[in-house]
Amino acid sequence: MSSTPLASPAPARRARSGPVLVGLVAAAIVAVALPVLTSGYVVYIANLLLVFVVLCLGLHIVIGETGQFSMAHAAFYGIGIYASALANRAVDLPYPVAMLFGALVAGAVGLFIGALALRMRDIYLALATFAFGEAMQWVFANWDSVTNGPNGLRISPARFGPIEILSDKQAYPFVLFFCLLMIGLTVAISRSRLGRSFRAVRESEVAAMAMGIDVRRARIISFGLSAAVAGFAGGMFGLFQTFIHPDSLGFQTTILVLTMVVVGGLGSIAGAIGGAIVFGLISEMLRQAPQYQEIIYGAILILFMMYAPRGLFVFIGDRIREARHGR
Amino acid sequence: MSMNKTAAGVTLAASLLIGAAAVAQEPGITDKAIKIGIFGPLSGPNMAYGFDVVNAAKMYYDKINKEGGIHGRKIEYVVEDDRCNANDLVAAVKKLVEQENVFMLNGGSCSAAVVAAKDYVVRNKVPYLMLNASGDGALFPPTDYIFGAYSISQYAVGGAMVEFAAKQFGAKNVAYINHDDAYGAWNLEGSKKDAEVNGVKLSVESINPGINDVTAPFLKIRAANPDAILLVTYARPAALLIKKAAEMGFNKPIILSVTGTASLNQLAENVGKDALKNFYTQEVMVDSPGGAKLKPIYDMYKAAYPDLAAKPDHPQTYMPYGIPSAMSLVKALQDAGPNPTREKVLAALKTQDFDSGVMAGRMQFGPEQRAANRSTIFIKYDGTTMSPLPGVFTSRWTYQAK
Amino acid sequence: MDLQVALIFLQQGIASGLVSGSVYALLALAIVVIFKTSDVPNFAQGEVFMAAGYVALYLFVFQKMPIWVVLPATLVVAFLAMALFRRFVLDQVAKSAKDLVYLVIATLGLSYVLKGLVRRTGFGDTPRSFPALVSTESVMIGQASVTMLDLTIFGTAVTVMAAFFWMFNYTKTGRVMRAVGMNPKAAQLVGVDLRRCHMLIWGLSGGISAIAALLISPKILMTADMGSIVMLAFAAAIVGGFSSLPGAVVGGFVIGIVENMVGLFISSRAIVLAPFLAILIVLVLRPQGLFGGKLTIKKV
Repeated sequence: MSSTPLASPAPARRARSGPVLVGLVAAAIVAVALPVLTSGYVVYIANLLLVFVVLCLGLHIVIGETGQFSMAHAAFYGIGIYASALANRAVDLPYPVAMLFGALVAGAVGLFIGALALRMRDIYLALATFAFGEAMQWVFANWDSVTNGPNGLRISPARFGPIEILSDKQAYPFVLFFCLLMIGLTVAISRSRLGRSFRAVRESEVAAMAMGIDVRRARIISFGLSAAVAGFAGGMFGLFQTFIHPDSLGFQTTILVLTMVVVGGLGSIAGAIGGAIVFGLISEMLRQAPQYQEIIYGAILILFMMYAPRGLFVFIGDRIREARHGR
Repeated sequence: MSMNKTAAGVTLAASLLIGAAAVAQEPGITDKAIKIGIFGPLSGPNMAYGFDVVNAAKMYYDKINKEGGIHGRKIEYVVEDDRCNANDLVAAVKKLVEQENVFMLNGGSCSAAVVAAKDYVVRNKVPYLMLNASGDGALFPPTDYIFGAYSISQYAVGGAMVEFAAKQFGAKNVAYINHDDAYGAWNLEGSKKDAEVNGVKLSVESINPGINDVTAPFLKIRAANPDAILLVTYARPAALLIKKAAEMGFNKPIILSVTGTASLNQLAENVGKDALKNFYTQEVMVDSPGGAKLKPIYDMYKAAYPDLAAKPDHPQTYMPYGIPSAMSLVKALQDAGPNPTREKVLAALKTQDFDSGVMAGRMQFGPEQRAANRSTIFIKYDGTTMSPLPGVFTSRWTYQAK
Repeated sequence: MDLQVALIFLQQGIASGLVSGSVYALLALAIVVIFKTSDVPNFAQGEVFMAAGYVALYLFVFQKMPIWVVLPATLVVAFLAMALFRRFVLDQVAKSAKDLVYLVIATLGLSYVLKGLVRRTGFGDTPRSFPALVSTESVMIGQASVTMLDLTIFGTAVTVMAAFFWMFNYTKTGRVMRAVGMNPKAAQLVGVDLRRCHMLIWGLSGGISAIAALLISPKILMTADMGSIVMLAFAAAIVGGFSSLPGAVVGGFVIGIVENMVGLFISSRAIVLAPFLAILIVLVLRPQGLFGGKLTIKKV
């Protein structure tokens, strides 16, 4: 087995406050104005992208921060979707309770997988989590009494007291709020001692142990948190979607999130967010080119890995810096 | 301007506005055109189920336009790729309804995926006619807005297969091989009533559509000593099972459902003529693919898409399935009169009953019936000749609210 | 289930399992060859296998070329494609970023491109058959029925694997590959051209995948998605021990038999779950697989 890390992230870059602030303000304006200025379809795409942002944040925690190559992300997402939808149907409480339930169930499974995964590293961890993800998809498709199996599950509308959410535009403020909440949570985790211990484990487990960090605990918790965030994204899914089918919860989805995180820039939260938005948009735009979309998608992946593996933003940052200062 | 001209101008403007207002409440309709949103799998692994079906619907609409349109309005269509999965189908539908503001939807070849759009279509009150999806999950219980199963209702497939085996071969013990997906669940459900009435025992094996080695399911089937095998699978697993049956010397009747017939000629090539000695296949079209009764459709395709028709594998086998759906849409628009609204179109659909000339049975909707086609016929195929058998087979399954 | 039936099931399950297992073994070998020498799990292996099958189909059925041209042509195409991919894509990726995740994603990109290209040709949608070059007449082994084609598949696969082992363990090229796998820097120091070696390894892996495709295509009917069989090959490699070549082979047979046993004695619906359960069980209980020996840390 190799001791080279499976993934080491881009070095941290200090934000340049000027352009970043402008960018953030612009993003805020777009975010607020969206449902007013555009059609329900655009808002639907925005809702989907916001869910992908949260999924990427979850993957960031386990791969970007802690360096554990987990390929089971879609499974936790699916657990969150089903658990929150079933809870929403069963009990007449406000929807956020169901969302929390979904996140907790997913998180619990994540802790369990994290414990099982303690002995594994790198490629073996990736393959084991991949196998778990496929097994979970099989469970979604075959546990007829709970998930309705291959027929898929209808998701009842989300209720917040007297408000019932019946359209994308209605759901959007809530989806946006929860996404911002998750971004805040991820940033907070990243800056906390827990986050530092994650990164220490990623850099070198031996050194981390020497510094007194409980490596096993850190690894298990990172899995649990990552799964809980993915499960929460599942709850967000139920805010505006009315149906879930096991076909959407397999390796394809996990790979999509992984490529979003890597293309955005592995190890940076901004990268995870940016990757989600950029790649999510690319994926929806490729629907317009049915004949070539697989080829284009694959080519994009290959080109990024060849020339911009550190991620889109690092690549753009480097080019801007080069343009300013010359080679 | 003189007073007369002004008055005339104002009156004209007013009457146009009033007339337009009646129609303008409805999205997607002007006095020149009606906008239809078409979607289907135009890419990806399930492209063969929808790419040419969409083309068939388009060419039918083009033909209607050439003949003058519907009450003076031309059909304008926008096409989206649904990639045969729930998320993309919903995105396609929302784009068509919200961005393109279509009057009604005509799309969907993948049954599990179309169910995902059900709630949205109903909430937004958009008339939705499926293309060739069976879509039973969205048709039962019936809604006011969704009409489908122009190809065949999967509930009918299962029952018809059992009924045929019982009536044609007097089978009392039948092996039923289906898939562990939505289709499989529906067609198995549909088979139960007919099995009960005919006193037929079903030995069921549900396999994954991606299966590579069919040894295990086939052995179990053989051990049950059935009088006939009902293959309610897609084309590839069906071919693998027929081959395996031949290898193991199984010589009782093998009956393939309509879901498994991608191309009978290709099947014969794939399994060899020796495997088809006691082989029957279910069909929903009025003639075998390429037969005389369907020639006008194939000629229409060649004229509309000469470049595609020159390529191998085109038109794809399911191409004619686009016609009954498009016909139904056009008929509903015609019956809704010169000032159609969505409500009028829906009312017209609910009483539709016509012979498409493409499907063996009539397309029939009813006040509570949203699945158009429930009739199938059977053909004996020995690798070279197709011999249709007499009789139209359907299923006794009826919807029970849970 | 009575004993009589169970015995028939057992024999047939093993016989058929060995046949399909031999193909999984070949693919697993192709995967492990790359992994052992460059630590990259090649997620495009299935698509290379699939594309090679379609190249053969195109040449044989549509261009009507004779079989003794088609077979070597397919092998050469697969060999070159993989070698060139390694040289022009992966070497570039490795230059930009050494970490594994980037190489893996590049192989994923390749899998999408290959699938998309095959679908563009229009051959990929109907299940196609590759004409069997050997008869499909049945032969009984005990109470199990196999065809002449099955026996040919098994025999050829075993021969190819044996030839590969001989090359890997007893020739100079093989020694070079082993050296690169154990310690690339040291190998470079003694004069091994790493770039050419990697190209050779990837090319070989491509060739082995092509042989697997040529063997099994007449049996399972070709579609653009037949590359999904690679999951079974990964399961085989893990069960055998991901860095052990003999392990990959044994793993292939084990997975083939387990698949059938699960289908026969548990349920047909569970067949597709079996390889993933196998992966999980092996990795949790004994991560080095059956033949992995002790877990070792590689020196860089």
